[in-house]
Amino acid sequence: MAGLTRTAGAFAVTPHKISVCILLQLYAPSAQMSLPFPFSSISQHNRLGLYLLSLTKSCDDIFEPKLEDLINQLREVGEDMDAWLTDHLTNRFSSLTSPDDLLNFFNDMRGILGSLDSGAAQDDQIILDPNSNLGMFVRRCILAFNLLSFEGVCHLFTSIEVYCREAHSSSAQYDESNDNLESLIQHDQMDMEKYIMDKATEEVELQKNASGRVPFHLHTPEALFKVTKGLLVTRKEKSRTNTKKAEATQLACASSSTVGDTLVDESLFLRTNYQIQGFLMEQADAIETHGSSLSSSSIESFLQKLQNLAPELHRVHFLRYLNKLHSDDYFAALENLLRYFDYSAGTEGFDLVLPSTGCSMYGRYEIALLCLGMMHFRFGHPNLALEVLTEAVRVSQQHSNDTCLAYTLAAMSNLLSEMGIASTTSVLGSSYSPVTSTASLLSVQQRVYILLKESLRRADTLKLRRLVASNHLAMAKFELMHVQRPLLSFGPKASVRHKTCPVSVCKEIRLGAHLLSDFSAESSTMTIDGSLSSVWLKDLQKPWGQPVFSQESGSRKSSTFFQFCDHLVSIPGSVSQIIGASYLLRATSWELYGSAPMARMNTLVYAALFGDSSSSSDAELAYLKLIQHLALYKGYKDAFAALKIAEEKFLTVSKSKILLLKLQLLHEHALHRGNLKLAQRMCNELGGLASTTMGVDMELKVEASLREARTLLAAKQYSQAANVAHSLFCTCHKFNLQIEKASVLLLLAEIHKKSGNAVLGLPYALASISFCQSFNLDLLKASATLTLAELWLGLGSNHAKRALDLLHGAFPMILGHGGLELRARAYIFEANCNLSDPSFSVSTDSDTVLDSLRQASDELQALEYHELAAEAFYLMAMVYDKVGQLEEREEAATLFKMHITALENPQDEEPNMA
Amino acid sequence: MVSKESCRNEIRAAIRQLSDRCLYSAAKWAGEQLVGIEQDPSNFTPSNTRFQRGSSSIRRRFSTISTPQPSAGFSQPPATPLPQEEDEVIDGDLYLLAKSYFDCREYRRASHVLRDQMSNKSLFLRCYALYLAGEKRKEEEMIELEGPLGKSDAINRELVSLERELSALKRTGAIDSFGLYLYGVVLKEKGNESLARASLVESVNSYPWNWSAWSELQSLCTSIEILNSLNLNSHWMKEFFLGSAYQELRMHSESLAKYEYLQGIFSFSNYIQAQTAKAQYSLREFDQVEIMFEDLLRNDPYRVEDMDLYSNVLYAKEACAALSYLAHKVFLTDKYRPESCCIVGNYYSLKGQHEKAVMYFRRALKLNKKYLSAWTLMGHEYVEMKNTSAAIDAYRRAVDVNPCDYRAWYGLGQAYEMMGMPFYALHYFRKSIFFLPNDSRLWIAMAKCYQSEQLHMLEEAIKCYKRAVNCGDTEGIALNQLAKLHQKLGRNEEAAFYFEKDLERMDAEGLEGPNMFEALVFLATHLKTNKKFDEAEVYCTRLLDYSGPEKEKAKSLLRGIRMAQTDFPSMDMEHFPL
Repeated sequence: MAGLTRTAGAFAVTPHKISVCILLQLYAPSAQMSLPFPFSSISQHNRLGLYLLSLTKSCDDIFEPKLEDLINQLREVGEDMDAWLTDHLTNRFSSLTSPDDLLNFFNDMRGILGSLDSGAAQDDQIILDPNSNLGMFVRRCILAFNLLSFEGVCHLFTSIEVYCREAHSSSAQYDESNDNLESLIQHDQMDMEKYIMDKATEEVELQKNASGRVPFHLHTPEALFKVTKGLLVTRKEKSRTNTKKAEATQLACASSSTVGDTLVDESLFLRTNYQIQGFLMEQADAIETHGSSLSSSSIESFLQKLQNLAPELHRVHFLRYLNKLHSDDYFAALENLLRYFDYSAGTEGFDLVLPSTGCSMYGRYEIALLCLGMMHFRFGHPNLALEVLTEAVRVSQQHSNDTCLAYTLAAMSNLLSEMGIASTTSVLGSSYSPVTSTASLLSVQQRVYILLKESLRRADTLKLRRLVASNHLAMAKFELMHVQRPLLSFGPKASVRHKTCPVSVCKEIRLGAHLLSDFSAESSTMTIDGSLSSVWLKDLQKPWGQPVFSQESGSRKSSTFFQFCDHLVSIPGSVSQIIGASYLLRATSWELYGSAPMARMNTLVYAALFGDSSSSSDAELAYLKLIQHLALYKGYKDAFAALKIAEEKFLTVSKSKILLLKLQLLHEHALHRGNLKLAQRMCNELGGLASTTMGVDMELKVEASLREARTLLAAKQYSQAANVAHSLFCTCHKFNLQIEKASVLLLLAEIHKKSGNAVLGLPYALASISFCQSFNLDLLKASATLTLAELWLGLGSNHAKRALDLLHGAFPMILGHGGLELRARAYIFEANCNLSDPSFSVSTDSDTVLDSLRQASDELQALEYHELAAEAFYLMAMVYDKVGQLEEREEAATLFKMHITALENPQDEEPNMA
Repeated sequence: MVSKESCRNEIRAAIRQLSDRCLYSAAKWAGEQLVGIEQDPSNFTPSNTRFQRGSSSIRRRFSTISTPQPSAGFSQPPATPLPQEEDEVIDGDLYLLAKSYFDCREYRRASHVLRDQMSNKSLFLRCYALYLAGEKRKEEEMIELEGPLGKSDAINRELVSLERELSALKRTGAIDSFGLYLYGVVLKEKGNESLARASLVESVNSYPWNWSAWSELQSLCTSIEILNSLNLNSHWMKEFFLGSAYQELRMHSESLAKYEYLQGIFSFSNYIQAQTAKAQYSLREFDQVEIMFEDLLRNDPYRVEDMDLYSNVLYAKEACAALSYLAHKVFLTDKYRPESCCIVGNYYSLKGQHEKAVMYFRRALKLNKKYLSAWTLMGHEYVEMKNTSAAIDAYRRAVDVNPCDYRAWYGLGQAYEMMGMPFYALHYFRKSIFFLPNDSRLWIAMAKCYQSEQLHMLEEAIKCYKRAVNCGDTEGIALNQLAKLHQKLGRNEEAAFYFEKDLERMDAEGLEGPNMFEALVFLATHLKTNKKFDEAEVYCTRLLDYSGPEKEKAKSLLRGIRMAQTDFPSMDMEHFPL
């Protein structure tokens, strides 16, 4: 609480600022000359000016560069006179031998400022306008120095000594620590300059080729005209070279731990509150984005430091909570969360609180409850979470904090929809009126819907745009997955027709995406200010982020441009996160509605544009979708390769979905290759991931038993498979999982088809088709139609014509959007139909059949689906036999044999993934 | 048992050595123990007797006799022989000068004088002076650097050089036990706890009379495992150490046993008496504690240490006058001691002037930021003033100073409960119970939380009340609540059982009140419905002793019983006029 109210605009003199002042003195010496001594050209002079400008801007940053860093930067800027600049700087510092020298130094600084009514300035004199950026900076420094007490001057003096000593000792330190790498380092240090320059020019050339923009380093006169852009260019340039440099030093030190060290640097100067808040917020974003791939101990030690420096800054505890949350340390997370709210009563630095509402005298403990609830949720204690969130609802109502209420309701609906708690009536029943009245009557889904509506309404009236957007997205998700029907239906008249409505899903998604245009009107300015102040010179900090980026695969690299723009327009990370989520949701909905290309495109858009700002779980989801797509459309080889990359990145994340995906892929693969034992094992493991509580993790459970039924089916144990499928259908019905019902029905039809009982299968297939129709599941419908056609054919060859017609109706959908397996099945079936059609003559029309069979066999081989592949080759061999092409026949026959043997002896050479 | 005479000789020498090295607080402590030893009857002089206690000393002498004599486990001669002072002729003069500077608090000057001296003694004093100089500067800097965010990263700048020097000395073995003590302190400041412990253990093993070393060691023993893992030579000083360490680890009875044993030798030690009082206070024996403190104050009227505890006792007993007397006395002695401020705060709190109380607690905290009880007490005041967020802040600081402070955890829970967040509060109650599982009040508080209308988790509440009963609930809330809860849940058998128990308790304590009526009425009706008419009649007749609506109820019940007994046709008699 105290932290925010105390002098927010404090500006302290630090050694770094003194170096900037020294440089300013060089830039604008009080002597009269058009071009001061060391500069050989005006452009050189201007370059220093621009550099100083960016330095003064970045002075509000939380970190200050060390003298060493400054000297390195000067080398880039100063080129041929860098030695002179550095010498001057260090000499000036070493001439400060007593506090009195400091006093004189600041007196001299006064001289480089022009008088306020500077009409009398001569043309050839370089005088700083006191109202310019640089002038203001000098004035602030002088003022801050004058305000210092003698003790303060003494402290400044000692910190200058430390500042200089560090620069001197740094090279020595390297030598001490890495004896074996000594020569390398020395070499590196000697050649550093040359190396950088080479790299810089190389890159400049590259850049010129690429973008046509004239970079700053080329000293063409044009560059100077683009002063406005120039700054931009230097920043960008610098970031690049610095990255290079970081790589170079990393190479030399041969350890990535340096990165952590930089983050927790000794030269941590405390800055104004605003900056720290902004900085902490950035860190929080970073923690969220990178999840546990960010080393938690380095953040921890940094926070420890910050806490030592500023014990009254309670936000640190919150950061620690976040950090612990992401490294899955339940007790520490809980402890820190409670501590944060105990200390600050939730009033420090919470941006979801509009400043105008101020702090009520009760503090904001409802937010504590909200956070606690979400924490329990994350650690997998849904009942506890619900309990806490209920209390949060009550307390926010009591303190009439509508904002928090809206968020809490959203969190609650999220919890309910993810976990699907079966028996929540006792919890929800007690306090919350809109829920109470109906709670006992409603299913979880309906409750989710009510909560969402309620939250949306509140968020809308309170103009919480981000919440509105994310609520819209949640709503879209809800509409996508759950069947819409009248909330309270009584009596015989209520309509019983269930269906989903893609239009409303689309509407919700679009409403969610409106945020991008809206967010600028958002009143929470602090977020933006806070992080902006440290965005300056952020590019200089880039090396810190380096290890994170380098781990990532290709999709990230293309995003640098967007990221850069991101800084310029400063879209808050949370906004782009929500927008990104909307793309992911689009992908999901297309997946469901059955358009593979659209799903893939949306996922790619997400990965390309929003990958940087995404939270780790979202990024994981995107990877998951892409890998699934690969498996379906490109075969397992590619998918497993991609999975390997994803695994490295995400497996450390808690509750990783990647593990799930891996099991799914392995199961499919095993099924196709006929390795049923492995399939069964995978299936059981999948089931083991789900929680044992009734009604929780329903989707996972459904999936597990669906796969079990399929495994049984593959093992030709029809009655058992049918039993599993039947009970699964009952479960789906009980928990209102309408969409899953469609696929279970299809599976039942499939089982009957395989068991040779086509008549029994027909009604199931028809029911599945009608479900698909009302829920707009086009792809599923196509595959159901295929099954229906197969069933017809199973009734006898006299139905071949009808079956073929059905198949042709579904063909566009299957070929356009279907995966490898579905397409291959369709092709084989087409051939089968043709062959069994009495009116079809093989000898005349063999190409039609062979074509589709060839297609099918290609796709099946990519999929390693031995059973179907064998069938395709068998048919092929038969056809060749008929038309008398013996050579081809033999070839097809060997391939048939090969697949059959592979199917019968499923070797355990599973891919090394298992 | 160590002979008193040998103890006395050891301490006498130790005091000289300690004060020679300017370890004044250790010397002071040793001095207190020295006079605490019972005088030899042989050199009894009237002045000595006057110095010692009158009435209480007799009582104490009796208790000495009853103390079980420990086995000859630690025998004389003492395990550690007294170190002989080295010859200090050469650097003696400089040492004297340095010591005088030190006494005048000119630490840097003192260490400068000793810069070239090589003897162990001068070496220690030089390092010690340097350390204190650094500490002093640190305190000053802390105030100077108080920036917008309360920056307080001031460190003792001498630590690095001191550590380097002392570790070098230790490696060569040219370090005495005092040097080891200082080395331990420096290591502790630098956060290297295990090394610090090792160094301190070595120090106390070679020179056990330095109480400062023992107390540093004690502050590093944060768990019983650590304490047990220490490899300490046996010596009577170890008993003192164990006593205080047990107390910190909340093993009060063990600590009491240690002190009782020590009292055999140091029968008149104020220190032991105060420590015993502390332990008794934790066991909530307020009457006994009060007597002990009174005794203590009579013998040592200008004592300020531990008097805050006494004021707590007086507060708990609501003895306004005594508390004000104590506050006045302490304030005249030394008003800028955190303890004195705390006592005044307690006084104002008792008087209901909470703002003033907060002011004094704040002052105490200004004098000592880590003064645990002041934070907690301030939290209590804020709770009284209904300023819950300030209260929470204060409690939380107390908890951060010492995470084992169950009072502060309890306070946090209470504050959150006050704000209508019972579920949130539960976590804190659980914490406080973890540290003090045998206190019925905490269990009752937790049960109330579960019972609150927002949570309404009655089964959990019942479990808590049961625990409270098992811990010996003195206020009798738990039994009554248990009975009521069971009644509410329709489990009449259980309800009857607890009502009966509650009735027994009230009878034993001679209490009466609405709870009694309730129990009697319930029992009577319950027994009547279960056709145990005789017993029901007993309760009814008891009810007849009281006036009020219960009496009428009893009458009608009795009538019902008679009716049922004589097997009258069922007929409601109440409608007939009597």
